Amino acid sequence: MAPQDFLIQYLPILIFIAVASAVSAGMIIMSLLAGPAKPDSEKLSAYECGFDAFTDARNKFDVRFYLVTLLFIIFDLEIAFLFPWAISLKEIGLFGFWSMMAFLGVLTVGFVYEWKKGGLEWE
Amino acid sequence: MELVAVFTPFIAFLVVGLFGRSIGDRGAQFITCAGVILAALASVVLFDEVILKHQAYTTLLAPWVVAGNFSVNWALRIDQLSVVMMCVINIVSACVHVYSIGYMSHDPAKRRFMAYLSLFTFAMLMLVSADNLLQLFFGWEGVGLASYLLIGFWNHKPSANAAAIKAFVVNRVGDFGLALGTMGVFLLFGTIGFDAIFEQAPTYKDAYFTILGHDFHALTVICLLLFMGAVGKSAQLGLHTWLPDAMEGPTPVSALIHAATMVTAGVFLVARFSPVFEYAPTALMVVTVFGGLTAFVAATIGMTQFDIKRVIAYSTMSQLGYMFFALGVSAYGAAMFHLVTHAFFKALLFLGAGSVIHAMSDEQDMRNMGGIFKKIPTTYALMWIGSLALAGIPPFAGYFSKDIVLEAAWADHSWFGNMAFWLGIAAAFMTAFYTWRMLLMTFHGTPRASKKVMDHVHESPPVMLVPLAVLALGAVFAGWGLHSGFVGSAHHGGVEEHGVEAVHHEMSEDHASGERGVGGHDTGDQSVTKQIAQNIEVIEHGIKAAENQIIVEAEEASYEVEAWAKENFWQKALYVLPENDTVEQAHSAPFWVKKLPLLMGVLGIALAYIAYMLLPALPGAVTRVFRPIHTLLFNKWFFDELYDALFVKPLLDMGTIFAEKGDRGTVDRFGPDGGAALSQKIARGLSRFQSGYVYQYAFTMMIALIGIVSWFVFRNGQGF
Amino acid sequence: MTDIYTVITDFNLVPLIPEIFMALFAMGLLIVGVSQGNRSTSVICWASVAGLAITALLIMGLDWQHKIILNGMFVFDEFAGFMKLLVLLGLMASLALSVRYLAQEGIERFEYPVLVVMSGVGMMMMLSANNMLTLYVGLELQSLALYVLAAFHRNAVRSAEAGLKYFVLGALSSGMLLFGISLLYGFTGSIDFGAIGASLLAADSISFGPIFALVFIVAGLAFKISAVPFHMWTPDVYQGAPESVTALFAIVPKVAAMGLLMRLLFEPFAAMADQWGQIIYFLSLASMLVGAFGGIAQLSIKRLIAYSSIGNMGYALIGIVAGTPQGAGAVIVYLLIYMIMTAGVFAVILSMRRNGAAVEWIGDLAGLSKSNPVMAYAMAILLFSMAGIPPMAGFFGKILVFQAAVAEGYYVLSVLGVVSSVVAAYYYLRVIKVMFFDEAADPFDGRTPFARRAVLLISTAFVLAFILKPSLIVESAQSAALSLFFG
Repeated sequence: MAPQDFLIQYLPILIFIAVASAVSAGMIIMSLLAGPAKPDSEKLSAYECGFDAFTDARNKFDVRFYLVTLLFIIFDLEIAFLFPWAISLKEIGLFGFWSMMAFLGVLTVGFVYEWKKGGLEWE
Repeated sequence: MELVAVFTPFIAFLVVGLFGRSIGDRGAQFITCAGVILAALASVVLFDEVILKHQAYTTLLAPWVVAGNFSVNWALRIDQLSVVMMCVINIVSACVHVYSIGYMSHDPAKRRFMAYLSLFTFAMLMLVSADNLLQLFFGWEGVGLASYLLIGFWNHKPSANAAAIKAFVVNRVGDFGLALGTMGVFLLFGTIGFDAIFEQAPTYKDAYFTILGHDFHALTVICLLLFMGAVGKSAQLGLHTWLPDAMEGPTPVSALIHAATMVTAGVFLVARFSPVFEYAPTALMVVTVFGGLTAFVAATIGMTQFDIKRVIAYSTMSQLGYMFFALGVSAYGAAMFHLVTHAFFKALLFLGAGSVIHAMSDEQDMRNMGGIFKKIPTTYALMWIGSLALAGIPPFAGYFSKDIVLEAAWADHSWFGNMAFWLGIAAAFMTAFYTWRMLLMTFHGTPRASKKVMDHVHESPPVMLVPLAVLALGAVFAGWGLHSGFVGSAHHGGVEEHGVEAVHHEMSEDHASGERGVGGHDTGDQSVTKQIAQNIEVIEHGIKAAENQIIVEAEEASYEVEAWAKENFWQKALYVLPENDTVEQAHSAPFWVKKLPLLMGVLGIALAYIAYMLLPALPGAVTRVFRPIHTLLFNKWFFDELYDALFVKPLLDMGTIFAEKGDRGTVDRFGPDGGAALSQKIARGLSRFQSGYVYQYAFTMMIALIGIVSWFVFRNGQGF
Repeated sequence: MTDIYTVITDFNLVPLIPEIFMALFAMGLLIVGVSQGNRSTSVICWASVAGLAITALLIMGLDWQHKIILNGMFVFDEFAGFMKLLVLLGLMASLALSVRYLAQEGIERFEYPVLVVMSGVGMMMMLSANNMLTLYVGLELQSLALYVLAAFHRNAVRSAEAGLKYFVLGALSSGMLLFGISLLYGFTGSIDFGAIGASLLAADSISFGPIFALVFIVAGLAFKISAVPFHMWTPDVYQGAPESVTALFAIVPKVAAMGLLMRLLFEPFAAMADQWGQIIYFLSLASMLVGAFGGIAQLSIKRLIAYSSIGNMGYALIGIVAGTPQGAGAVIVYLLIYMIMTAGVFAVILSMRRNGAAVEWIGDLAGLSKSNPVMAYAMAILLFSMAGIPPMAGFFGKILVFQAAVAEGYYVLSVLGVVSSVVAAYYYLRVIKVMFFDEAADPFDGRTPFARRAVLLISTAFVLAFILKPSLIVESAQSAALSLFFG
């Protein structure tokens, strides 16, 4: 495979990048031009999950934030696995299907555990 | 049956040793006594099977050591020699066990004592029934151990501990010889099994060991090494110093171990190896010379001692000397004969002495005794029997055995044989002298003990007297009963046999009356004198009668006697070259040779009587006149002092130097102590390294990783 | 694309049944536990023991012939089977020891046995790994469960510290391992054990690439078996973790990691025996010496056992250095004996409680011979065995590895091994001395629970009885080891 051919294969990705850049740039520019601008201190501060970003790092901090984040990541990853699986399901056949079922089953057990443990309740 | 005879004492030892606490004193005494008595009965049955029915055999118990071409079994060799020894050991041991019940009745550690006695008995039985040198060595060391434990039995006495250690250490010297001899045997024969050794001995009679460029006659070397072991165990001159000190042990121990059995192990060893010794004439000469000198030197010392047990101890040593020169002139049967008779009368004497000591509230010095024969008549009578046997007065056991030993020595017609004969004659005279000195000092004269002790003097309980009586029977009958079997000849034995029987027949009557006289004594010393004179007369009479009988019945040397001749008795257990058969020649010794020992005995008794009864001033005067000689004898020829100066002190000094400079200063400092200190230092360093900080741990891991990678880069030196 | 179809044709899950069962079992327990709450902890513990026993039976029911399934991902052979049984045995022992302890310490939470079983699944995967992916997944499953267990007493500072240290350093070691695997993939083009082995064998000479990979992979695994110099976490974690977890750490994961290391070195890296021989030689020697000398200064019995385990891994590594089936068999026997002895020792350590709290100083054992003679004598026998004094089993473990090493001419290593075992004997004997001759301390609390007594007596009996028929174990271990070399 010649280097050119190799790069040609990535052409769709390049196009996607260009389109994505154009769309997002357009969005930002549009909101800058059309949106109302009434800044206050709350609006201008960096967003962090519920605490001040500019104090000492060794602060007491509610551990439940992390719990929620972890839960989110786990299910996020699950989605990340599900997409390619869904696309290639025809080719990987029954083996692929049951593999994912096993994965989801394990994940469900974890979910049940968490729910029962009260990990999803804030108070 | 042989298992019963050998292992019952061991079982008794185990039971009492392990569970003594729960079975109590009574139980311990019962179990050990029952065990040994059972063993004694079993050995009598064996005697019947093996000797009367001629069925020698070997029982294989288990393989022991198998390494390359070296293999040793646990086995019991049941032949004539071992059966004779087993009978002696078990019977005497049974008597001693029973006797100990009474003798040790005030001792708090009875169980331990009984257990040790049984252990000793077992070890001794293993020794005599060994089928190879290693098992013999096992028994040999076993009896050494038991002897050590028993000599030091009263371990609160420093002198007893010292004596125990001395016995152990001195024996070590001999054991070293035995071990070397065993190795020599293996080197020469390639085996240490008895059968194989004895079979091959003639084929190696011209073999030589080359040591440091010199050739040594192999069999002589081996025999001398084995004899070295015998010298240690049997307290022959040179390694004898432990025996008198061993009297620190309780008296039953002295009787069993240091008179009847263990000290005769050396005699047994040489007799067992007769098929090898026969081909080593030089070794036999050495044995004779050692034996003769020992018999003489020990007797001279015995005359001057005051401790009643030491007197008997020296007499034991002297009698062992007799046995050894008998061995040396190839009269193995005679040696074994003397061994057996000696076991009985010497054990009797020791136990009798124990009875006296018991009566005198643990007094052992004869200068503090005297005048007690009326208070302990039974002991007195029994001591008389033992003494008569020791002095060699017919028909007591010692007469027969000592005579044949001396005749055999004479019949050897070699310079050392003659030397041994004359030394033995002198020793016989001295034996009789010191024996009667002991008897008279102990029982007669004015009481020299304190009044308190005298009031307390009492006859021993039956449990002590019955064993004494059993031994006394042996001391009386063992001589004539076993004579023809042990040393009899197919040609002359019959004559002797009949003569002896006749003597016995008359004697038993006279003796019985004599004993009655002694037992019912109430008329004082005067009557004793009469009694002695009467006894002597009776004896003379008996001998004359015997002479007549012999002449009359010489023709009737009959076939049934032939079955009792020594060749038939010992079968293959003892081996004598035909040209060395001194026992055979001894029967045809001239009249004066046969009668000289007896004459000497009578003279010795007479001299003792004169010196200690009629002229009490005489001993003192003699001592003054011959002060240098007396000092020499009284101090036991200065053997102990000599050894102290020659070995003990230099070795002790050397030991101190090595201990302080060598061991503590060098080995400890750089060895254990230094090593330990170094280890501690490393350990402390390592724990400091273990700081507890994660970053340091991670750092260590990375450094190690880099280190290993670098090792490969530099070591293998290849480029990328 | 064709690869995927081969996976499907190789869809034979029979050798995987024990692992599948165990994983399902663990998840089931988790659900049951979470619905019943912490009251059910001891029930779940015993249920886990039963589950492990069933797994062991399943393994024994399998065909032990060499078999590679799932397109080369998973291997089952005699070696894997034997080692898995060892692991299950260790897990059962450590769980049985834990039940009462958890209640006593107030950390009776049902996750404990579930985590133990989960780590067990990971170990089983490790032992059957035939692909770097399986290896890594198994290793991490095991490790993650153990990290949590180390910090299980989450209210105790020491325990939290231990868990954190173990996690951080474990992550570092995993990183090394992964880096090594990636290097290896770069140089051989595969992560399959068979393919790696073939590729290395085909090479004329071994270049630095695979050597680097080897060093990193071995370093990552050396951390798991706490071989010096990757051992630094061991004393701290052993001391900080709850005693029952320490028992688990000391008994089981090392067996699994050692089994994995053996498979890795003898199969894919067989062609590099020369190179890994040098590394293992160093690790073994360093472990023996540090284990021996480091233990001398310790006052805590838990740290002492940590150093003891470091030293013992050093001895086991000797058998790997030898590189022969004989050596591998010796390692297996050594691990078995080590495991059983350690379980017994921990039965005693777990009983060291006074006034309701665990005590860990060696001095606390003083006078045990008077207050609890049976325990003291059993402990003495086990310690004698650990010190390698005949006729206890520990002696045979040592002599087998030394024999294997001597047969291959590793005299220096063997002699140094013997020397360090003499040094190590000091601290074992010191414990015995404290138990029997020191002035008595107060007796420990209450009666020893049945499970602890059972473990103690069984291990003592094993240690004593091993001499009666050593061939029983040695021969099956040898044949298991042979399967590593000749399929």
